[in-house]
Amino acid sequence: MFRFQSLDDDCTLEEEDEGHVEEEDEIDQFNDDTFGAGAIDDDWQEEHKRLAELDERDGLGAGLGGGGLGGESDLGGADLSSSACRLPPPPSLSALGFSSSSSGLPPQDAEDRAGEGDLAESLARLILDADPAIAGVGAAERPGPPPGSSGPGLSALHRLDQARALPQPSSIPHPSQAHQHPHHTQHQLPAGPSTSGLPPPSSMLSYQQQQHLMRRGPAPMGQMNSHSIWENSMGFGPVSVAPGLVTHMEDSPLMSIIKEVGLPKRPPQGRNDEGRDLSERVPPPRSSSPVIGSPPVRAIPIGTPPKQPMSHALNHQIHHPTAVHVRAPVQHRYPTPFPERLSPNTLLNIANSPLCRGPFPPGVGPVLSQIQRAQLLNSQVAGFPRGGPAPPLLPGSGGFRPFFGGPPPPHGHRMGPPPPHGPPNHTPPIRHNTTHLHPQHRRMLTQRMQSRGGDRGRTGGDRRSRDPYSNLMTQKEKEWVTKIQMMQLQSTDPYLDDYYYQNYYEKMEKRQEKETDSSKKEHTTKLITPQVAKVEHTYRPVQFAGSLGKLTVSSVNNPRKMIDAVVTTRTDDEEKREKQVWNKRRQILYTVEKMYSLLLEVQDFEKRFVQAPEEDRESLLEQHKNNTVQLCNSLREKEWEDRVSDEQCVMIMSVRKGKRLISRILPFLPAPQAAAVVMAIARNLPALAKKDKQDQVLCWLVEPVSAVIQSLSSSTLTDLLQDLQGSEGQLASVLHNKFGVTLLYLILSEGERMQSSDPNCQLMDDNRWTELVFSVTRELLSVPSSSLSPPLFVPPNLLSLFSRYVDRQRLELLQDKLQISDLSR
Amino acid sequence: MNYVPGTSSLIEDIDKKHLVLLRDGRTLIGYLRSIDQFANLVFHQTVERIHVGKKFGDIPRGIFIVRGENVVLLGEIDVDRPCDTVLQQVSIEEILEEQRLEQQAKQETEKVKMQVLKDRGLSIPKADNLDEY
Repeated sequence: MFRFQSLDDDCTLEEEDEGHVEEEDEIDQFNDDTFGAGAIDDDWQEEHKRLAELDERDGLGAGLGGGGLGGESDLGGADLSSSACRLPPPPSLSALGFSSSSSGLPPQDAEDRAGEGDLAESLARLILDADPAIAGVGAAERPGPPPGSSGPGLSALHRLDQARALPQPSSIPHPSQAHQHPHHTQHQLPAGPSTSGLPPPSSMLSYQQQQHLMRRGPAPMGQMNSHSIWENSMGFGPVSVAPGLVTHMEDSPLMSIIKEVGLPKRPPQGRNDEGRDLSERVPPPRSSSPVIGSPPVRAIPIGTPPKQPMSHALNHQIHHPTAVHVRAPVQHRYPTPFPERLSPNTLLNIANSPLCRGPFPPGVGPVLSQIQRAQLLNSQVAGFPRGGPAPPLLPGSGGFRPFFGGPPPPHGHRMGPPPPHGPPNHTPPIRHNTTHLHPQHRRMLTQRMQSRGGDRGRTGGDRRSRDPYSNLMTQKEKEWVTKIQMMQLQSTDPYLDDYYYQNYYEKMEKRQEKETDSSKKEHTTKLITPQVAKVEHTYRPVQFAGSLGKLTVSSVNNPRKMIDAVVTTRTDDEEKREKQVWNKRRQILYTVEKMYSLLLEVQDFEKRFVQAPEEDRESLLEQHKNNTVQLCNSLREKEWEDRVSDEQCVMIMSVRKGKRLISRILPFLPAPQAAAVVMAIARNLPALAKKDKQDQVLCWLVEPVSAVIQSLSSSTLTDLLQDLQGSEGQLASVLHNKFGVTLLYLILSEGERMQSSDPNCQLMDDNRWTELVFSVTRELLSVPSSSLSPPLFVPPNLLSLFSRYVDRQRLELLQDKLQISDLSR
Repeated sequence: MNYVPGTSSLIEDIDKKHLVLLRDGRTLIGYLRSIDQFANLVFHQTVERIHVGKKFGDIPRGIFIVRGENVVLLGEIDVDRPCDTVLQQVSIEEILEEQRLEQQAKQETEKVKMQVLKDRGLSIPKADNLDEY
């Protein structure tokens, strides 16, 4: 009761107008599918109780039952109807629901009603024989209200009881449930005297469900296109309930009205239902669902045992994305009166006689055994080739089962309702055998089965009939398992999967062709192996009509890109150039490092020399010399040249560390080489200055350079000045640079010093010096003050130098410009 | 009737008495009531039969659901055939006791063996650990 309501509240996925019958079916189906068809908890509780009681008091029930059931037998007629008339249908429904306390739901009710209907019918026949066993069974359950409704068989009896006995409780749930069954009232059949209390609701239900079926007919077909995936997947539940319901309904002798109403509608629906039913069974295609991208949410978990009769076990294509597999419809024209799940007891007691008979003659009455029914179904559906203990029913391998969905074979419809009695008299038209088995193979198998089954079946069946617990696994379930197993055998590439089988039968065919006449088609039926359709599994994003672009929803089948990684490939040339540049720089750095290590050694020499003991000093000295030599060598570009390479110097100086290195090396270099280095600097000053723009480390060189300059000879000095001036405009750029200006001053001051200190200096020997100075002064004067960078320091004797060469006026100008203080005068 | 032509299936074994040997070494005998696609088995009126030497004992267990992957072998028992076995049925307590003793003895020998191997610097992994590989 509680569960019923709570489930109602939860299950909002269903449309309201569907009626809560389907909803409840759905709800219950969860339970059923989890625990197996018919394993409704009150079922097993009831059964367990019954079985337990059966074990305990075997013979007791028989006596009790006789009288009770005798009274009950009348129920079939008057009492039920009277009780029904008393209770309006919804409450009776609710009564049913209430009576099945834990889960009492209309679907179960429906099924129970179905079972009840069937049972009632069978009862009607057998009770008339006053079978004491049944009476005993029935009576055993009579005392007290059962905790829950029982399985289909006996629950019916219960309900029959309780519908009468418990009108009051029904009224309680009635108001709560009344609103849930608006349709019931609408579609209510007149609860006339001819209809019993219970059947009318069920009939009404079935009618209503039929209505729903009709409405819902096209829904599964349009699953692809419609967006109502929820509806469809949910809709399968209730839809699938219907056929079983309907079929069971039909057989109830109490529901003649239903027969009238139900029959005409059933066949078309049955087809669709079966199709839908089947599609429900199909696990969703592994590929992406075309709808949104995710697999559709299933109301029923994948791989659950079936709840409803399912005759087309293997007749659908799991790869086929469309949910509809319109198979040859199953016409339950003559379904068994036996409910799906009979308790072992009922089966034992009710169906004892037929079972004991063994192979059943054709044209047997409506009371068929489960096996028989299954066989019938198979023959109708051209299902599994079932040879076995009922040769009259099936012509051996007569069943050709088209293996796949898709357009139904033209003869599919023809297969409709075959004559229930006996096998089809005509050989079925030659159909392409598209099952896995080669027809020859199948023939052999069936022969084998028949021969084996015949002698074993009798004893086995006998024993099994006596076993009260037999047939706990229903036919449906067996078929369902078989279906799964067969599905696994489907193959897209039979030659790959089962090479030897294919080859063997091919050979056999060829042999047969050779032997027999080719006019005999049967013998040389070509094996057409099933071709599993290869459907496109690509994801096509959902597109809404009239909109631009596609809606991309990422799902498990269609994950979105997380990183948009773009590969940029550089051309070879570019790469080479870049590499070269890098390599060169690396080379310079490497050289610098090596020189540094040498330099450090050289610088540390003194310290070490002092500390080292006498004996080692010589070696140290030696080492020192080597180092120095090496240092000098490293400045050379090529191994055999003596001169310091300009380029090398410049290269080294292009790196900041290199500049520092040079500044530190200069003191250690021998004089000519040091001079050469300085010359190189002077020569390349503009370039160096440009490179130094960021680092501004040239000024470190001032000290060592000045030291070098002071050691220079006059000619070298002149040369140096010349180099500094270099090409046209170099001086200007030199003046731009701080270091350059400083260097210039240094040179000039040195020259002046030379001149002033030593009258014999050769500086004035040629005019070069004078000319150079002149040009310098000219430049200095011409250069605007802004572009003249202030030197690091101004040597004091510059003024005297200038005074030598320029007239007073210019001197004063220079003074101002260069801000040379008048000191040395 | 053959449900799955050309192949074998457990469908035909339903409602028949079977003996199943599990991976953990247990032997169960019962009526096979239901199966599924994984060959999970539902046994009814199951009896666990313990064998120790020439003796055996049956422990009634009721209903068993065996996960398919744990089945080593499964075979039908022909109830009609006369049972001409040399095995002697004993009570449950006795067989359990026997089993315990056997297990104890086995463990002792195993221990001794391991010790001897250890002394020699060898180690043989237990068979059940190899299962994963």
